[in-house]
Amino acid sequence: MADLRRYYEDIAPGEEYESPGRTVTETDIVLFAGLSGDYNVLHTDAEFMKTSIFGERIAHGLLGLAIQSGLFSRATKAYATIAFVGLRWKFKGPIKIGDTVRLRARVSAKRDDDKPDRGLITVQRTLLNQRDEVVQEGETDLLVEKRGRA
Amino acid sequence: MTTAVTYFEDVKVGDSEVTPAMTLTEAHAALYRGLTGESPDAPESIPDLLPLCLATGLGWRTPRPPLAVLAFMSFDWKVYRELRIGDTIHGRARVALKRSMRESGVIIEDHELIDQHGAVAQGGRFTFLIAKRSADPAGTS
Repeated sequence: MADLRRYYEDIAPGEEYESPGRTVTETDIVLFAGLSGDYNVLHTDAEFMKTSIFGERIAHGLLGLAIQSGLFSRATKAYATIAFVGLRWKFKGPIKIGDTVRLRARVSAKRDDDKPDRGLITVQRTLLNQRDEVVQEGETDLLVEKRGRA
Repeated sequence: MTTAVTYFEDVKVGDSEVTPAMTLTEAHAALYRGLTGESPDAPESIPDLLPLCLATGLGWRTPRPPLAVLAFMSFDWKVYRELRIGDTIHGRARVALKRSMRESGVIIEDHELIDQHGAVAQGGRFTFLIAKRSADPAGTS
């Protein structure tokens, strides 16, 4: 079977991807609360949230992060990732029920690793809503396999 | 009526807690992949960001009432070792810093997720904006 994954050598700093949009629903928030066990009133109490600065329930920040991770895999062919190393992330604004988010991603850096069969790829990621407002942004570090690997 | 929450004033730098443990199952991975649309890499693998998502919920199962979070502002996170279906993780958290503002305050917590062998699998720092008791109009929450 042909290997369609993109290797370290194939990925160039500056390349950009944009994902399809995804509408975040009440169901997404309820499922994420159930999965994560995070039942904070911000995400689960519609009446209380009417009195908050947001005016309604908002998605868990980490739900937005998880959704962008799925959107990334729909924005570009899969990397030959060996390991997810880490990320630095900022929550800039709320995601409300019915908002449609999409991911804009840009390869911001690459560097060789101590091990010769892999390198580190840093991707700058911006999650935008339907009004083009940045709701989340950050950088992820991925260890990606080199093509030369035996 | 009031329910129990932890306000900014209630938190001290150095406060720490250990959460109950949870075994990572195929159901966790399948639900997470269905919700996020992430494609599986290896059948036994746990998606990289799933343990992070479970970390906040594990924090709800400790004696300290949940923080009166106004906003989750930012975090840094590192993955040290891969987790697989069947691994059992628990969380360890410590308040690293607090900064008071007029009507609320910022708290930085160090978090670690530890596997059944005692090894730190993932960890990092969370920054939260927390309500002050003195500024909470409803006596919220």
